[in-house]
Amino acid sequence: MLANPPFGPREETGALMKPRTKVIVLIASVVSFLGAFFWLLTTHGPLSPVGVQVGNAVRADLQPSVFGIGTVDARLSYAVGPTAAGRVLRVLVDHGDEVKAGQLLAEMDPVDMDRRIEAAKSTGARSRQTARVADALVAEAESRAKLATMNRDRDRKLYEQHVISKQALDNSTVEAERAEAALAAARANAAAVRQDTGRVDAESQGLGSLRENLRLVSPVDGVIVSREAEPGTTVVAGQAVLRVIVPESLWVRARVDQSRAQGVQVGQVAGIVLRSAPGTQMPGRVARIELQSDPVTEERVVNVSFDAPPARLYLGELAEVTIQLPAEPGVLVVPSAAIVREDGQTGVWQMVDGNARFNPVTIGSQGQAGVTQILAGLGEGDSVIVYSTAQLKQGARVREQKVDQR
Amino acid sequence: MTTTEPAILIENLTKRYGSGPTAVDALKGVDMSIAPGEVVGLIGPSGSGKTTLLKCLGAVIEPTSGRFTLAGEVIYDNAWKRTDLRALRRDRIGFVFQAPYLIPFLDATDNVALLPMLAGVKNAVARATALEMLTALDVQHRAHARVPELSGGEQQRVAIARALANKPPIILADEPTAPLDSERALAVVKILNRLAQEFQTAIIVVTHDEKIIPTFKRIYQIRDGKTYEEAGEGRSI
Amino acid sequence: MINLARRDVANHLGRYLLTGVGLGLLIGVTLTMAGVYRGMVDDARVLLRAVRADIWVVQQNTLGPFAEPSSLQDDVYRSLEGLPGVVETGNVAYLTMQAKHRGKDVRVMVAGYTPGRLGGPSFLVAGRPIAQSHYEAVADAKTGFEVGDRIRIRRNDYTVVGLTRRMVSSGGDPMVFIPLKDAQEAQFLKDNESIVNDRNRLADNPAINRPGQPGVLKAVETIQTASHRVNAVLVRVEEGHDPRQVADNIKRWKHLTAYTSADMEEILVAKLIATAARQIALFLIILAVVSAAIVAFIIYTMTLGKIKEIAVLKLIGTRDRTIAAMIMQEALGLGVIGFFVGKFAATLWAPVFPKYVLLETNDAMRAFVITLVICALASVLAIRAALHIDPAEAIGG
Repeated sequence: MLANPPFGPREETGALMKPRTKVIVLIASVVSFLGAFFWLLTTHGPLSPVGVQVGNAVRADLQPSVFGIGTVDARLSYAVGPTAAGRVLRVLVDHGDEVKAGQLLAEMDPVDMDRRIEAAKSTGARSRQTARVADALVAEAESRAKLATMNRDRDRKLYEQHVISKQALDNSTVEAERAEAALAAARANAAAVRQDTGRVDAESQGLGSLRENLRLVSPVDGVIVSREAEPGTTVVAGQAVLRVIVPESLWVRARVDQSRAQGVQVGQVAGIVLRSAPGTQMPGRVARIELQSDPVTEERVVNVSFDAPPARLYLGELAEVTIQLPAEPGVLVVPSAAIVREDGQTGVWQMVDGNARFNPVTIGSQGQAGVTQILAGLGEGDSVIVYSTAQLKQGARVREQKVDQR
Repeated sequence: MTTTEPAILIENLTKRYGSGPTAVDALKGVDMSIAPGEVVGLIGPSGSGKTTLLKCLGAVIEPTSGRFTLAGEVIYDNAWKRTDLRALRRDRIGFVFQAPYLIPFLDATDNVALLPMLAGVKNAVARATALEMLTALDVQHRAHARVPELSGGEQQRVAIARALANKPPIILADEPTAPLDSERALAVVKILNRLAQEFQTAIIVVTHDEKIIPTFKRIYQIRDGKTYEEAGEGRSI
Repeated sequence: MINLARRDVANHLGRYLLTGVGLGLLIGVTLTMAGVYRGMVDDARVLLRAVRADIWVVQQNTLGPFAEPSSLQDDVYRSLEGLPGVVETGNVAYLTMQAKHRGKDVRVMVAGYTPGRLGGPSFLVAGRPIAQSHYEAVADAKTGFEVGDRIRIRRNDYTVVGLTRRMVSSGGDPMVFIPLKDAQEAQFLKDNESIVNDRNRLADNPAINRPGQPGVLKAVETIQTASHRVNAVLVRVEEGHDPRQVADNIKRWKHLTAYTSADMEEILVAKLIATAARQIALFLIILAVVSAAIVAFIIYTMTLGKIKEIAVLKLIGTRDRTIAAMIMQEALGLGVIGFFVGKFAATLWAPVFPKYVLLETNDAMRAFVITLVICALASVLAIRAALHIDPAEAIGG
């Protein structure tokens, strides 16, 4: 063996790390990778528990409200039209005009009515003349009867004095009777003539009323909202020529779900939002709840009046109303998102020992702030699951975390 | 130096490539006899059949006819007498090449210990043997170095140590000094001589390196498929 | 005997791991595609599961309401509630349409339901449920809407009051829940021109527009524009009653078609999404085959890169099976690394994928086994090539 090998010992240039360090680094990285792997699997993969966000049942003042949509309508709305078929002669007002009660709005064509009225008047005049004649005849008959009666009475006296014969008395008696009868006849005649006059007068008056009806007047102070027939159009009885509304009587005829209509009462404050002004809410009040609900749509009709009707309103415009029901102070509420239906029951999910448990509750009204009243099933301070990342099942493993949209 | 049995005995070995009119006779009847502990040179120009002879000696290719006796065991007599040639190479023949051909992902000790391990020796024992061999070649201080960290000369010595690991009766060295300068080449030959004596291994060195040919005591020349024995200078190093 | 594979890998660890990561990404993409397929099938089922109706009642002889159009009177539910075994019902209307949000159109499926009854979302991730009878909406988070946003559907603006998640139609469109009446109006009410046109046509019709009966025209107009129809009625069956029996009952006595939720699932999965699912399945198979080929190729090339070492090993007398074991171990190791990296990557990027990706554990197991099998087969091919290497090549010649 040579002491010194012919080739000198080479320097250990070597790798960057000693073998031992390398092994340690390798094992450390494998372990950390596996750790990351299993962490990922349990938090994101199919094996991970469902993430939930919890909230508490607290006491709060509940501000329930009921929502409905409807149209702007007029409570007092009149269709002005003729009572008999006819032709429109003239229309004096138009869309948007303000009218006063009694104001002439339109007129139907009287056709021959004026002439009939004339005729009736003439007949009336003539009848009055005939009455005068009859009266004169009555006067005449009266005087004759008077004379005859006087003669009879005188003749009676004379007969008692045996001045005249019985025959003469009988003559005057008969004469008197005849004159009485003639008087009665004349009176009856006069009465008949007067009756006739009365009839003719009544007929004349009737024609006058009919003639009045052809004049369409406004029943109230209001605004014309539609002009439905032009001069020359034939309209039938009952058909509207014009429509008048009372602007102060405008309200929103809103439909509210029957299931939520409980608690709506006349006089409650409501907010009205018109479709044409979606940003502005106008104050109003529940004016009337109609007794007749809609069975098909399952809605109740609630009429909400405006506290102060705005300058321009359009009939038929869509409006949304939000009726404020009386506040319920200090009731137990939970976030509405926590209320679920499971197997036909209403309840909440609760996190118990890391598992999801369903707890049936009885709920009351919903408030405006996204909370729902709990009537039974929970106590103050109980925690409920509000949001979850997946559907919950009884007994599912859950983990509390902040649930965000992703 | 010569004992009763030669380490290698080649008798009339032939090798024919191909058949028919295009056949080539690479070896036309080679005779060789080498004693244990002897270091002989095998010299010849390219095309002389030198590589073919080496491959036959290494049991890498099959000769066409002849007899090959290795440390008293006839391993070829017109046909292989052993079925597992790879085991034969592993246990009975050591190879040293022009290039070290170490396994790059094993360190020096494991490269050397690999052969005994493959032979079924327990890891600890194999490593001990490897260390012994490395020590014999004066590279024990590089025992745990990776192959790329070793210098060319160190790699060559590890390769030689590997060749010795199973203590084979013969070592075939194919141009072991070709890339080296004269100082190092002579050093390698010196080591080979030492090891041959120490372990009583026969070493055949195939070479045409003029720097080391004078050191051989015996030389086999190969020309046209036949070998001719001649005495060498035997110059001491 | 030392473990050659371990030492070989340790020798060029960086390259080995990088190859594993590359394989892993490939496997991850394949897993993701499988997830898309599963997600597609899940999309078809998710609405059914969320709504949790036992029976879907639709127009007679239709496959509605999703596979075919279906239209029912909205008061049918009253007669259904009287049937034995029926606990609760709910009218629903569905229509796929564009919702306008911040100037952009979003494709959604609008679902109309009555709050408090069947048909609505079963959980929320933000906000609150619908409280008003009109103009409020709960949307799926996939729409991109936020609580408080105003969106436009047809003629009306809706305020988004709540958000939910994983509420999609069978086509993957996110859902927006609105009150039923609004949905009915959106579905059945025509546009203004048509309405005016129809009104004019009615007014010209002397049979309807009678001079003496002005009320008739109005009544007919109201009938024309009123929408009292729904697409389906959902029914929940009492515990202990068989939904199939109740469904048969409905079919027989009410002259409607009733599907149990199992039937609906079959209709959606087998009929509605079948084509799309088959396309994805085909993609998946192609992707898997290509991935397998690439994996095999990588392992094969990796082995061939070791020809020198293998030749030397063979030359110095290493047994064939030792060499084979080294190659096989390295290949399987690559497969294991690749699988873990792939599963990790797929789980990481699945939520960001535009389509819903459902990664099931079974699929992952299957992928693991297939990966190892592919690696083993590829290494076998490589081993065969390796073992053919002639050790004589190591000896210069």
